[in-house]
Amino acid sequence: MIRTILAVALMCFGMFSVCVSALGLFRFQCVLNRIHAAAVTDTLGVLGLMLGLVLLCGWTVMTVKICIIIVFMWLAGPVVTHLVAKMELLTERNIDAEAPHEEGELLL
Amino acid sequence: MKNKSLLHRFVDWVNGDVADDRPGNIRTVGSLPEAKPPKEKPEHTDPLRHLNRQIAAYRVSAVLVCVSLMLALTYTVLCLPTYNDPSAPTNNEVSQRYVEQGMEETGAVNTVAGMILDYRAFDTFGESTVLFTATAAVLFITLSKHTKEWTERGPFADSSKDPILQVVGKILLPMIFVYGIYVVLNGHLSPGGGFSGGAVLGGGLILASSMFGQKKMVRVLSANVTTGLSVACLLAYAAMKGYSFFTGANHVGWEIPKGTPGDILSSGFILPLNICVGIIVACTMFSFYSLFSQVEEE
Repeated sequence: MIRTILAVALMCFGMFSVCVSALGLFRFQCVLNRIHAAAVTDTLGVLGLMLGLVLLCGWTVMTVKICIIIVFMWLAGPVVTHLVAKMELLTERNIDAEAPHEEGELLL
Repeated sequence: MKNKSLLHRFVDWVNGDVADDRPGNIRTVGSLPEAKPPKEKPEHTDPLRHLNRQIAAYRVSAVLVCVSLMLALTYTVLCLPTYNDPSAPTNNEVSQRYVEQGMEETGAVNTVAGMILDYRAFDTFGESTVLFTATAAVLFITLSKHTKEWTERGPFADSSKDPILQVVGKILLPMIFVYGIYVVLNGHLSPGGGFSGGAVLGGGLILASSMFGQKKMVRVLSANVTTGLSVACLLAYAAMKGYSFFTGANHVGWEIPKGTPGDILSSGFILPLNICVGIIVACTMFSFYSLFSQVEEE
């Protein structure tokens, strides 16, 4: 019983993260802010949903598979976000206005 | 602004259309910098008047086309047989035969693989040919004239010196390739097969290409190699399936053993056909990536 409640709470948290992330993806205006919002899905959203599933299905082979999915998403998602951010820094002409920084501070 | 309903204001806020003076918000999504106000022109020589009329006609005709399509499609849906109707044309003996005798006749435990690679093998052959034709067309248009090879990527697209990508890629790349090969080889035993496994392999190739840089990838997989692989796989597919069908689709000369779960070397033609399809899909994905990411020449 407690396990189910905990699982539902975790999955609700995951869905909340995904919703916030989707809202931010549309609401923010420059690329760096938007990928920051989008990356929440890959990390917090996946973690909440998958841990909820682990609790729901109990200790089986599925647990290991879900853990592998979490590891894969956590490895791949941030790296992709990093590459997109780097590309934006390199190609955006208006980067000084978009990402305010100190004079001489290295962005990359 | 004040007159708008709460819903509309919320929609505007989500779309980012509200005027926003905070620092950092310098651009609005999807909106170009404001165009200069058009210069005032004498009305009788307005060249845009003709165009405006055409745009109005375009809108009216678009609505007309959409409405008539809607009516036609709705009428068609109304004419469909009811769901679960035993006399519906889709409920013929074909699907029942696939389900009941598919494993005996094709040897595939995975019924879908038996269908797409045995009963309807020429359909899959056509799909693979579509992929190959697309690659050939893109090669024809974009491949550099002078080098006859995909050229270097621009300095911006080259992430081969990124330490984060190097470290994570070294962990992920072997897993991706092993998983892709597993999906291709087990296509007749478990869900998966040439198309899905080939897509995984193609993604792995793209990751390898962005990790090691285009120069190193060319040594292994150049444009000639991918084209040659695709052609060889298509020809092998055509030869195997043509032989099978011309001899009456009775698998003469290659007695197909029944698929055994867990035994990769079973169910005859389906395994090599899956491998062929997988290689074609992987080559297509990789060559699209390489062709579209190369430097545009002046």
